[in-house]
Amino acid sequence: MSKVSLFIPCLVDTFVPSIGLATYTILNRLGIETVYREEQTCCGQPALNAGYRHHATEAARRFISIFGDDEVIISPAGSCVYMVKRHYPDLLREDPHWYPRAIDLATRIYELSQYLVDVLGVTDVGARYEGKITYHESCHILRGLGISQQPKKLLSAISGAEVVPLFAAEMCCGFGGEFAERYHYISEEMVKDKVNNFVASGADVLVTCEPGCYLNIKGYLHRQKIEKAVVHLAHLLAGPEFLRGENEN
Amino acid sequence: MKIRTEEFNTIAKKEITNAYARAFLGLLPPIIAMRRVQVMGSFPDPDGAMALSRAIRGESVARLPDLLEAFEQNATQNGAKVLWARDAKEAKDIILSLIQERQATFVTKGKSMVTEEIGLNEALAQAQIKPIETDLGEFIAQQLNRPPFHIVGPAINVPVEEIRDLFLNQGIMKEDTTDPVQLGYAARLFLRDKFHHIKVGLTGVNMAVAETGTIINVENEGNIRFNKSSPQTQISIMTPEKVVPTMEDAMHLARLLCRSCTGQKISAYVTMDTGPKKADEIDGPEELFIVIVDNGRSKIYEDPQTREVLRCIRCGACLNTCPVYTKIGGYPYGWAYSGPMGQILNPLLLGLARTQDLYRACSLCGTCKTICPAGIDHPALFLYYRALDVKGDEKFRGMKRPWQERMMFYLWSRAVASKNLWQLSLKLGRRLMKRKAMNGWLSDGGKLLPGWFKERDFPTISDQTFREKWQALKGGTYGRP
Amino acid sequence: MDAREEILGRLRRVPAPTLEPRPQLPPLPELALSREALLERLMDELTKLEAVPHRVASMGEAKEKLGEILTGEGITKVIISTDEVVSAFDLIAWGKERGISVYLPSHFPDREAFKRAVFEEVEAGITGADFAVAESGTLGIIHDRHQPRLISLAPLVHIALLPTSRVVPVYESAISAVFKRGKEIPSQFTFITGPSMTADIKATPFKGMHGPRRLYVIIYDAQEGEK
Repeated sequence: MSKVSLFIPCLVDTFVPSIGLATYTILNRLGIETVYREEQTCCGQPALNAGYRHHATEAARRFISIFGDDEVIISPAGSCVYMVKRHYPDLLREDPHWYPRAIDLATRIYELSQYLVDVLGVTDVGARYEGKITYHESCHILRGLGISQQPKKLLSAISGAEVVPLFAAEMCCGFGGEFAERYHYISEEMVKDKVNNFVASGADVLVTCEPGCYLNIKGYLHRQKIEKAVVHLAHLLAGPEFLRGENEN
Repeated sequence: MKIRTEEFNTIAKKEITNAYARAFLGLLPPIIAMRRVQVMGSFPDPDGAMALSRAIRGESVARLPDLLEAFEQNATQNGAKVLWARDAKEAKDIILSLIQERQATFVTKGKSMVTEEIGLNEALAQAQIKPIETDLGEFIAQQLNRPPFHIVGPAINVPVEEIRDLFLNQGIMKEDTTDPVQLGYAARLFLRDKFHHIKVGLTGVNMAVAETGTIINVENEGNIRFNKSSPQTQISIMTPEKVVPTMEDAMHLARLLCRSCTGQKISAYVTMDTGPKKADEIDGPEELFIVIVDNGRSKIYEDPQTREVLRCIRCGACLNTCPVYTKIGGYPYGWAYSGPMGQILNPLLLGLARTQDLYRACSLCGTCKTICPAGIDHPALFLYYRALDVKGDEKFRGMKRPWQERMMFYLWSRAVASKNLWQLSLKLGRRLMKRKAMNGWLSDGGKLLPGWFKERDFPTISDQTFREKWQALKGGTYGRP
Repeated sequence: MDAREEILGRLRRVPAPTLEPRPQLPPLPELALSREALLERLMDELTKLEAVPHRVASMGEAKEKLGEILTGEGITKVIISTDEVVSAFDLIAWGKERGISVYLPSHFPDREAFKRAVFEEVEAGITGADFAVAESGTLGIIHDRHQPRLISLAPLVHIALLPTSRVVPVYESAISAVFKRGKEIPSQFTFITGPSMTADIKATPFKGMHGPRRLYVIIYDAQEGEK
């Protein structure tokens, strides 16, 4: 089986490396050989979202030149995968050299749960969790990439866990990158709703496949001193050493 | 209507703490959204039904000039008079002269977003012609001089006490009651008298069918029907993108429009007019004028990306599922169109410079795009407007961003372009953050991210970034079975 | 350059994009229903809308039902259309027997006189319906000199007389008959689905905002020779 190239988003590299480590751990346990291209930095999404297409396009070319030869690329972040699949071809449309490479790369990049379930055909990765789990459906994962069944299958296969429904699971948690900063007063109301629904679900832990959502919800819980746990899917699947409370560092 | 798009944040902050508005927004839009899902289930293939309505609107926009000409030809052949107006001023002049020539001192109006857009009511009032809104919600909003709170329920957030006071003051009712039904009936009696005596009735247009020259309106109350039946003259005002190729297309769109708008299979009344009344009919308009108002649409059409905005059928489904709209309501959007529908349109009509927040106050969640029966990709449009604004686009009046922001992204792009610079920046940042951090968390960013830190904490830069951990891992036995 | 030329000119300046082929939809389920099932479906939809349906076996029974409704509503003044359905009922004579004043549009010399009656005097409007669409309980009414618009709009009560032969499965069935068959297109064709309504004040729904507050539909089987 070919090596899998890890695409570790900038937020993960910088603030939550445990998500990246957990991803590596899961793949390793399944016997998948991984490689990490150390040249990678950021997919360029923040620039695109702010309207700096030129900078986003530069980042796109750099990304493609780093990952271009990899047969399979996996990332624990839906919005970043969406950036590459949906936006790179758009950004490079006028570039006869890079456009075909962007189109081609889009066929070889996967979000983590998508890769495990759809490509490897695996739902049970040997994870254990005693307690109730509820799942937040991140915007780019659900509506962008059409991924919903895959994380749910993986969660259902966790030994000892009970998956409970989350009211308005598909509603945005309020992150949206720069949105959370610039329109924080609206973003706060959105994350407050998400947390209220989480508490009402009776779950012990909220799971997300998106580092942005993770930082948003966890950041709110931490400031408001609400004693509830949020994890990334990779944390839950990788093993108990990743399910610590506060400090992932 | 006064344009207040530049006051987005001020108005939104006020509305988000308005308990009454929040109660409504927490109740009504979700209910309509739920009803929409239920009634879409009446299609054997709901996804297919959406795909078809999107294709119909795509074709309507793609063939716009030809369809418009065909519509005009067929409408004219059936006795209607089609008039064209380049902008708001021309439209108002045309409509004003038509009314003045017929010596009407007041007109009744069915709901028409474009007449709000061009400020028709103000122009009529200035010319001593009283414009009377007849859709109950618009009637109330007009009396209170407020923009619409929600496209379907323009005054749905107004407390009944306020409506009672308003009606008593304006002589619309004598009895002191706050019962919504009694208030509604009082408005009914007041407006019924107007319907009886109008000489000129104004309506909007939901669809203009090219193959037959037919204009179609949908409504639940019956006020549009009165405007089309009672007076001698009917003036129907539309924008070019209302055209639809065939009557069958119109039927399918009507199904999607009503399901998306109010969660109904179809509204109480759908009226399809082809020309004025025949000579031997006792009611209906003797003259039917159809005014096509451009007011920026042909400019929007010229750009293949912004052209997609013209697909919109004004159903309002995007409002009901928008996580931002359902927190702040219609007022902050500052003009006739609110919610995602307004966020894609207002910037193109008013210019990107004065609508800065409209295309930025969005988390790009994509729910609007998912439920849009017309097939609009709102998030893609917002990204496009942001890019045009950064560029300082001339056509749509982008303003170019502050130099500090441009500098910040330039520096960021240098770090992204170089692994070494990236790592160095993180190392520096880590040292700075360590001073303020507690157990790996920051509660205060100083000058950085003041908005975020109001109610949220953020982790510090890790002691070891992923890259650093990986480098430590290489050659080690971490995780190997 | 006039406005029309300028607008169309600007719209034509850009090349027209190529059109994707349209998706094919499965036919609507109503198209596969038998006549009885269609009628049942119609009754069901009308009931849900609070458009009170009454199913009767003949024109004679329809007249009786009409009488019941008017008595129940306390109505003594009605205006009727003169389309072929209503004409067959001969309601002027019938009304005389019951002390119900029956007006026809032709009684009025002009629009003003007609409006006065329909806005201020009559208590109900009685019309036929050219179609009844089972998919949503929708009446389709072609407006012409026999079927003025205000009769089914201004009075507080609207009563529609509907022979079962007029029931059709979907909107397109009505549209193709009205707009396509080489005939002159009527000045107005109206779909009526339930009584008038709104929920614009405090999201509280009620019937009879501007149009009729109550809608009755008397569905009958026309005998041979009748309409």
